[in-house]
Amino acid sequence: MDNNMLLSVKNLHASVGDKEILRGINLEVKAGEVHAIMGPNGSGKSTLASVLAGSDKFTVTSGEVAYKGENLLAMPIEERARRGLFLGFQYPVEIPGVSMANFMKLAVNEKRTFEGKEPIGASEFLRMMREKSAIVELDAKLTSRAVNEGFSGGEKKKNEIFQMAMLEPSLAILDETDSGLDIDALRIVATGVTKLHRPDNATVVITHYQRLLDYIVPDVVHVLYHGRIIYSGDKSLALKLEKEGYDWLINEYKD
Amino acid sequence: MDIDKLIADGILRPFAGGSLSRTDLSRPLVVLNPRKIAIEADTSEQVRLVIVHTEPNEAAIDLSLAAGVQVTLTEICLAGTFTEVRIRQAEQSSCRIVAVQLHGANTAYRIDLAEHGAENDIAALFLATDSEHCVVNLSTNHLVSQCTSRALVKGIAAGRATGEFRGLVYVAPDAQQTDAQQQSRNIELGEGHIIAMPQLEIYADDVRCSHGATVGQLADEAIFYMRQRGLSEDDARRLQIEGFANDIVNRCDIAEIREFLATAIAEQLQKL
Repeated sequence: MDNNMLLSVKNLHASVGDKEILRGINLEVKAGEVHAIMGPNGSGKSTLASVLAGSDKFTVTSGEVAYKGENLLAMPIEERARRGLFLGFQYPVEIPGVSMANFMKLAVNEKRTFEGKEPIGASEFLRMMREKSAIVELDAKLTSRAVNEGFSGGEKKKNEIFQMAMLEPSLAILDETDSGLDIDALRIVATGVTKLHRPDNATVVITHYQRLLDYIVPDVVHVLYHGRIIYSGDKSLALKLEKEGYDWLINEYKD
Repeated sequence: MDIDKLIADGILRPFAGGSLSRTDLSRPLVVLNPRKIAIEADTSEQVRLVIVHTEPNEAAIDLSLAAGVQVTLTEICLAGTFTEVRIRQAEQSSCRIVAVQLHGANTAYRIDLAEHGAENDIAALFLATDSEHCVVNLSTNHLVSQCTSRALVKGIAAGRATGEFRGLVYVAPDAQQTDAQQQSRNIELGEGHIIAMPQLEIYADDVRCSHGATVGQLADEAIFYMRQRGLSEDDARRLQIEGFANDIVNRCDIAEIREFLATAIAEQLQKL
């Protein structure tokens, strides 16, 4: 096996009820890479992200997913997370009465325990919170508030990237992290993601818009259509899609 | 940390009832296991009052607020108490209540907004576990015009427990320009059962009144979100319930009591 291989998806099929949404996904992501997944609405982009994270809303009907060489599909949701898989939610969930600080401390310590490390000390944790919230210019006051409660759209997305910074994932899948952001928030969020990029981790960004990719420059751009990746190319593909839309690809590759 | 310790440490000051006009109000007052007590809030100072039930008594509590007086009241039931709290509010007075039942008990609040401009805010929580039965009765009576009331009652029923909320907002014929809201939010866990009955009885025509009740289970989306960050399913569930409860607890204006309640709730939830 290629030691740099983080994620290897083979012929993945998944359904909700009796409706098949993923119809044979093949995808390989190596350490150090940035992948972008684009495609029209309803093509299965968010479903792919949810299935990889382990959502029980979808049933995997066939296919294989190896993550760091192990069978991802056999792992419970939290084990995937503790092993370094992070999902940036398209719609971050509000959790009233649960403070960001308390939530993050539990999350960071679960990961550390899993890695055989001691729980983080109080002062080190506070320093880490300050440092990581600065990456996305997240107002430090928000970290003492309840998770996502009363956050603006932009703050919620910044908060996702803040959590990503705290948890230092090996593989981050960012599901439409750019949707609903104004141009300043987009720049901050995208720059934050870029700062977190390292040779030993990888990012998969799901997006509708080329503008995010001005900041987060992808190595590979995939087009997902009707549950399959119908075309992959380099970053110039995103520009072409922005100008010409998806029809030329769909007409050529539809089944 | 328990209540006796908070008293011994001088954080809370014991109070036996009567007028507050000559009472030292620099520290919050505490009434422990009252049977029958009348409190006259007739002072220009801010009053912080705590009532704690650790014994299964019957208790009758009368609290009257003179014009312009501001009171915060925290009532905590840690035993199978049967209590009735009657509050009468004069002109421009303000009463903010946090009521928490952590044991099967029966609490009735009767709040009379008796003069113009009185404001009442009550946030209540009951946590019924095992085969307990928690009851919260609330009647908020708008007797004159231009008074405001807010009520948020949250309930959790787990195990084979029952939690019951019966609420009434009464608006008298002369109580024009009443502004009243009453909400009941509940979670059922296991075979826990919730009965939520908010009611409005309105005899004036120029009013703003709303009420509502929801009964639900834990939000799957929030559980998924927390597990995606590495929390176990049990921890995610416990944290969500704690959060639901702490939303009420956090409204208490005494840090030591907030801490006491949060710890007591967390301990109770560990057993679920």
